[in-house]
Amino acid sequence: MNNLAEFLAHAITLEDESAQRFDELADALEVHHNGDVVELFRKMAHYSRLHLADARERATGLDLPRLAAWEYKWPGAESPEAIEVFDVHYKMTPFHALTAALESEKQGQAFYAHIAETAADPGVRTLAAEFAAEEADHVTLLQGWLARTPPPEDHWSEDMDPPAAVD
Amino acid sequence: MMLKAQDYKSDVKPVWCPGCGDFAVLSAITKALAELQVPREDAAVVSGIGCSSRIPAYTSVYGFHSIHGRALPIATGLKAARPDLTVFCAGGDGDGFSIGGNHFIHACRRNVDLTYIVMDNEVYGMTKGQASPTTDAAWTGSKLTPEGPGVAPFRPLEMALSAGANFIARGFSGDPNFVVRLIVEAVRHPGFSLVQVLSPCVTFRPEQRAWKETTHADWAPESACTNRRDAFLKLLDDDGFTTGVLYKGNNPVFGKPQAATATLEELEKGFAL
Amino acid sequence: MTMTSVSLALTGSGGAGVMTAGQILVDAAAQAGWYGLMGRSLGPQIRGGESAALLRLSPAPVQSPDDFYDLMVAVDWGNIDRFASELPLHAASVIVTDPSQGEVPAVMLRASPHVVPVPLKDIAKDVPAGRVNMVALGLIAAAIGLPEDAVVGVLRQVLAKKGADALDASVASLRAGAVHAAALQGVPTLAPPTRSPAERWSITGNEAAGVGALRGGVRFCAAYPITPATEVLEWLAPNLAKLGGTLVQAEDELASITMCLGGSFGGVPSLTATSGPGLALMTEALGLGVASETPVVVVDVMRGGPSTGIPTKSEQSDLNIAVYGLHGDAPHVVTAPTSIADCLFTTQWSVYLAESLQVPVILLSDQAMGQTRAIIDKPADAPFVGHRLIATASDGAPYQRYAVTADGISPMAVPGTPGGEYTADGLEHSPRGTPSTQAQHHEDQLDKRLRKLTAFDYGDAWAHLETFGKAATDLAVITFGSVTQPVREALGRAAEAGVSCRLIAPRLLFPAQPARMAAALSGIKRLLVVEQNHMAQFHALLRAYYDLPPNVKTLHRPGPLALRPHEIVAALGDWS
Repeated sequence: MNNLAEFLAHAITLEDESAQRFDELADALEVHHNGDVVELFRKMAHYSRLHLADARERATGLDLPRLAAWEYKWPGAESPEAIEVFDVHYKMTPFHALTAALESEKQGQAFYAHIAETAADPGVRTLAAEFAAEEADHVTLLQGWLARTPPPEDHWSEDMDPPAAVD
Repeated sequence: MMLKAQDYKSDVKPVWCPGCGDFAVLSAITKALAELQVPREDAAVVSGIGCSSRIPAYTSVYGFHSIHGRALPIATGLKAARPDLTVFCAGGDGDGFSIGGNHFIHACRRNVDLTYIVMDNEVYGMTKGQASPTTDAAWTGSKLTPEGPGVAPFRPLEMALSAGANFIARGFSGDPNFVVRLIVEAVRHPGFSLVQVLSPCVTFRPEQRAWKETTHADWAPESACTNRRDAFLKLLDDDGFTTGVLYKGNNPVFGKPQAATATLEELEKGFAL
Repeated sequence: MTMTSVSLALTGSGGAGVMTAGQILVDAAAQAGWYGLMGRSLGPQIRGGESAALLRLSPAPVQSPDDFYDLMVAVDWGNIDRFASELPLHAASVIVTDPSQGEVPAVMLRASPHVVPVPLKDIAKDVPAGRVNMVALGLIAAAIGLPEDAVVGVLRQVLAKKGADALDASVASLRAGAVHAAALQGVPTLAPPTRSPAERWSITGNEAAGVGALRGGVRFCAAYPITPATEVLEWLAPNLAKLGGTLVQAEDELASITMCLGGSFGGVPSLTATSGPGLALMTEALGLGVASETPVVVVDVMRGGPSTGIPTKSEQSDLNIAVYGLHGDAPHVVTAPTSIADCLFTTQWSVYLAESLQVPVILLSDQAMGQTRAIIDKPADAPFVGHRLIATASDGAPYQRYAVTADGISPMAVPGTPGGEYTADGLEHSPRGTPSTQAQHHEDQLDKRLRKLTAFDYGDAWAHLETFGKAATDLAVITFGSVTQPVREALGRAAEAGVSCRLIAPRLLFPAQPARMAAALSGIKRLLVVEQNHMAQFHALLRAYYDLPPNVKTLHRPGPLALRPHEIVAALGDWS
């Protein structure tokens, strides 16, 4: 990250895409009548939006670079806090959802932490460190929830009904 | 006022199974539209039948959810009659390469300026898991072909290159930001653009999550082949999992809008004695 | 009123050029002020096959063949067996035969016509660079009283590119043939021409359909060639372009109809033309047009069926597939022009109906009209231009593409209109257009798609109604399409003989018009249904949808033999 504007552009997109991913999954699971996890993902989306609002506020007055989707410097293919789509199943349990969310928060934290350590601009380092710390709080929160969540039963993915053909 | 990707999504919630690769393609299309800033009323998505063909209703641009295999001619007619619109055609590997196979060949030949996004999951998801034209000959997962289809898979990129498509690319739903770039470049490139997106079917081909490991982005868009010979040679070495832009061609693009040069009255005079 | 006309058949094979000669004849007659038509009978090969130019010339407009040919000139007798039945002769007919081509085949002598030998080939040989078809042309023109300068005038245009020598040789051939006209006894001569002041056209039914399409507002066509419809598309190709429209050649009929749906979805009135086999391929897409309420017109130039059938001959056997061929409850519009000239009006009207009702319209033309050239009065302008109920930019309320309205027609947004974004769908849908499996939505949408058709006022164009003789009659004929014209001639003759009859020739074959039909059939007790197919398809349709008089009979026969006026007169007489 070269400067604050670039960093915030990334942070904003990171939180925005995190929230959108949680909402997208919440919608999909709502369509599939998996109420427990819907609630959880909506909550996660909400937290991401709080972060998003914060990042946007920090960016007031700054001229943020407009980056095309592929121009972001993400460590992986997608923005780090977007939950992994392949870890989702229509019958997933809150345990699975929290595990996936935890993983995405850890990646978010790692992203900010790395910038906090390596960015040339001290302003960026400071802000990144702040964000990393907030993510760390989230990680702790999620770890706690996960600890209190019963692990899934062996037959969690069982659906005795066969798939339907609808078109 | 700048449109954001979310502005190109409708409020209809997709019925795709959670984990389906098509979610990422929907996002990529909307991000591409936002990158291009196409007014919503000037874009259209045309599809056929299948899971991925449900996509038009999930966008907030104009759409036509048509019949099995016929998305390409509908999109062709729309673009030929309304060259001012940005036209997408979307669907799956069955809709596009089986029943739609003939139209696919001729759409590549005709080279009308539109972008065809094929969400390839190597299975017929909507009808519960039969082999598709791109399914491996040895796949035994279908009740219809329990010994495996035993038929060499259709190679869409080779077909497109052979038939004359101007832009040929492959992406993977697990790398959606790259797919955005492929779509943006496809729309910008004149003529018929094919973007094959490997898009796993979580319900009938859950093993396809391994594509995360097998896909490799080795066709850099800036080094796309501009002649067919080079592109064919690259394809001969392709393992089916290379992503990026294979080819950017210069074949003539179909049709130019014409201004009227006569009135109907003048034309009718041709019958007068 | 009985027609005064002269009917001529000019036959030959192996590239004798009889079509060209026939065309020159009808053009010359037209230039000199007569009306006429020229049909063709062809063998199944692309070059050198047996062919017949079938002409009818008259001071008054004619759009269908007479009972018999007055004069038949045979350059040779190649494969005559294949189509002798399409060349009906009677005792008054004259056959001109070239002795060098052998005996007149027995099949042509069954009616005992008068045979006159004329050595056409030898005459042509005696003229430097002489052509046998020009010799025959000169003979015929002189025999029927067609002025030489009219023929030479047309020849001059036809041969303009071939130079003065070609013209001289042809004129010399003409004159050499004319000399032998004196030997022909009993060939009727043309009654004096009417010299109508109105602008007159030389046009085929297929061309007329093309013009009608453009008059109706069509500016997009997707084309796949098929006999005998290709000329519709070939006429449209350059003419659409001149008007700023577009024609795309498709890879098959599955593509041509769906391209039209795409163009129409884009807001541009769209049309294609095909024949039976192509229409069969189009049925699924037409159902999509019905379900998504996308206008489109398909001109079906009917030919002998079923399957590949008899591609070069006429028949009226696609009525069933046109009306019943879509799966599901898929009401749509089926129309049929009643003559070559009416191909223009009915195509224009069909475009208007498709656009007004946001529905596919199948127009049933046929080979007899499509590929016959007729001299007609220039068709009047008709106030039917495609006008779609368009949704304007919304006021913020979400756009309901398939809103349930009183008349069943919902405003249709055209791409490019902000706020009108919707997804057209073959799936059943809610008023907004989102897919739905709900019973109420299905019922509402089925109702509206039917209601929009049944509530519409089709006006007087729905049928050609004509009374022959006294209005107070209990006898009527119902027919459709090209058969309308021989029926009209037959009813004219019958009226002269004191038999009054009402003609009902619906242009609108579907949806049914019970009230209008009841009015048309008021007082009728005897009904003759006339149609050109094997299974009396129209009769079955009438029985299904209308209350018919107590005494109904049919005159029906498949192609390729045209139904001729005298047969229809005979059918009118026998009600036992």
